[in-house]
Amino acid sequence: MTGCCGTGEKGHAGDQSSLERVDLLSNERIAEGVGLMILHAPHTASLVEPGQFVHLRVGRGRDFILRRPFSVHRAHGEQIEILYQVLGTGTLAMAELGCSDDIDLIGPLGHGWDVPENIDHALIVTGGLGAAPLGGLAEKLAAQGVAVTVAMGAPTQERLVGRDVFEAVTRRVVIATDDGSEGEKGFVTGPVARLLDEGSYDMVYACGPEVMQREIASMCAKADVPCQVSLERLMACGIGACLSCVVSTKDGLKRACVDGPVFDAGEVCWDASEIPPKH
Amino acid sequence: MTVATDLSVTIGSLKLRNPVVTASGTFASGREYANFVDLSRLGAVVTKGVSLKPWAGNASPRIAETSCGMLNSIGLQNPGLDVFTQKDLGWLETQDVPVIVNVSGHTVEEYAEVCRKLDGDRRVDAFEINISCPNVDSGGMVFGTSCPEAASVVSACREATSKTLIVKLSPNVTDITEIARAVVDAGADCVSLINTLLGMAVDADTRRPKLARVVGGLSGPAIKPVALRMVWQVANAVEVPIIGMGGIADAQDAIEFMLAGATAVAVGTANFVDPTSTMRIVDGLTEYAHSRELHKITELIGALEV
Repeated sequence: MTGCCGTGEKGHAGDQSSLERVDLLSNERIAEGVGLMILHAPHTASLVEPGQFVHLRVGRGRDFILRRPFSVHRAHGEQIEILYQVLGTGTLAMAELGCSDDIDLIGPLGHGWDVPENIDHALIVTGGLGAAPLGGLAEKLAAQGVAVTVAMGAPTQERLVGRDVFEAVTRRVVIATDDGSEGEKGFVTGPVARLLDEGSYDMVYACGPEVMQREIASMCAKADVPCQVSLERLMACGIGACLSCVVSTKDGLKRACVDGPVFDAGEVCWDASEIPPKH
Repeated sequence: MTVATDLSVTIGSLKLRNPVVTASGTFASGREYANFVDLSRLGAVVTKGVSLKPWAGNASPRIAETSCGMLNSIGLQNPGLDVFTQKDLGWLETQDVPVIVNVSGHTVEEYAEVCRKLDGDRRVDAFEINISCPNVDSGGMVFGTSCPEAASVVSACREATSKTLIVKLSPNVTDITEIARAVVDAGADCVSLINTLLGMAVDADTRRPKLARVVGGLSGPAIKPVALRMVWQVANAVEVPIIGMGGIADAQDAIEFMLAGATAVAVGTANFVDPTSTMRIVDGLTEYAHSRELHKITELIGALEV
C-alpha cells in the first residue's frame, strides 16, 4: 500500500451540504477585476463555518460551464458574501449575473479553519483575494475573545479587499502593497517576518497565492507557530468524487474539496507545485 | 387509463430497473452523491475504476474546461481492490442498487485477477472492463485500440468470471466496429461507449499545457455527436446490448442514444454540473414514455428511422 490513494472518510452522506437555489441580492465590482456577490442562501448561511466554500453554478440555461468553487467570505442571517476575482470564462459569466438570473449552489462544502479552544492571539495573513475565506474567521475569532492581528498584502491599495471587515474586528491591521501605494512596499512576507519575531502567536491563518502560503508556512515552521492554509485547486464535482483537486500531503493525496480546502501547513508537500488555476 | 411504462432493460444476465446508470469515474461509488441522488432510483451504479493494487494517478492540474466540455487526466487514481472491497462494496451493499464494478489493469493478468477475486462476491452484479482510458501509460487504451490486445483482455476476464461482462470501448480508433466485434467474439455480454476522446488544451498566456500530463480525455456535450455516431455504427455491427454515453445531460440526450441503438445510457460529466442529473433524466424518460404511450422503454432501442 503506497498510502497515496486514500479517499478519506469525509464527504459522504451525513454531511449537510445540499443543492440550494439562491437569489442574487447584489453583484458589484469593488476593485479592478474584483467582484463582491451577496446571495440569499438560507441553508448555507445557517450552516457554513469560516473557511468552507460553495460550488456555484454560473452558467445559464443550457450553457455547459462547470461549477466554480468559492470560499464564503462572510455569512450573516440568511445571506452569504462571495469575493471573487474575474479571471476566466466562469468568473466573467459570474460578473455579468444579475438579480433575475437563476443561480444555484452546493453548500456548505469542505473542511474550514480549525479554531482551537485555548488560543489567545492569532495572526491572519492575506494575499490579494486570499482575504476571501478569512473574513468570517476574523469575526469568529474576535467574538470568542481572541486577539487578532491581520497582515494584508495586495498589488495596490485598491486591491486590499476585505479590509473593512478586518478593521472592524481586529486591533491591528498591517499592510504591504507591491507598488507601495499603501503600507510597506513589497510582499506581505516582510511584515509577517517581523510580526512573528515580535509577537507570540498561537496560530497563523494564511490564504493567498500558493507561493506566498508556502513562504508563510516555512516561516511559521521556523518560528514554531502552528499554521493553517486554504489551498485553491481546479475542481469538477466539488463533493469528493472526481479526484480533480488533489493536494500532495505527508499522508498521501488528499482532496481539496472535502479534506480541505484548509490544511495544516505542516502536512502539505509544498514541493509538488501547482500551476495557478485560472477560472 | 394509461398503464405506467415498463422502464426496465436487460444487460446480459442483469436486469436494470431503468436504463440510467452512472459513468465510471464521475460518481466514485455513489456515497459522495447520497445527498443529491436516490441511488435506488438508478439503473445501476458503475463504480470508479478499480485496479488490483493502489494507483496514484497523475500530476496536477488534472482537469481543464473546454467549450461545452472538459478534459481530464486523473489517471485512474484508486486505493486498490482490497480497500474498494472493504469500504465501497460494504457501503453499496446497504443501497438498493445493482453494482457494476469498473476494472482497470496494467496487464491482462491484472484485469483478470480483479474479476476472479470479485467473481464470488454477491455484492457485485457485473464488470465493466476499461480498455479505453487515455490517461495511463501502460494498460488502458493500449488494450482498447488493437483487436488482438482487446480480445486477450476480454478472454482472460471471461475465463475469470461468470458475471455479466461489459467492455468499455475507446473512440480513439479508426474503426470502432472492429474492436466491438473482437470483444464480443472474445465473450463480452455488452459494450459501453464511448470513453473520452484524446484531446489537449493550451494556455496562450503561459505557453504551457493546461494539463500536467499535456493530453487528456475530452468529455461533455462537445463529444455527443461523435458518441451517437459510434453507438449507431456499433449497434449495426454487433448483437449485444450497448450502454451509450458521451455528453448526456438530459432525458432528450438519453432518448437520442437509445434511438441510435443503446439499451442503457450512462451519465458522466453532467453529474459535475448538476449532481441530480441522473434523477432528472430518469424523470424525463418516464415523462417521455408516458406522453408517447410506450408500453416498454425498450421500444426505443434502435428505433431510429433512417
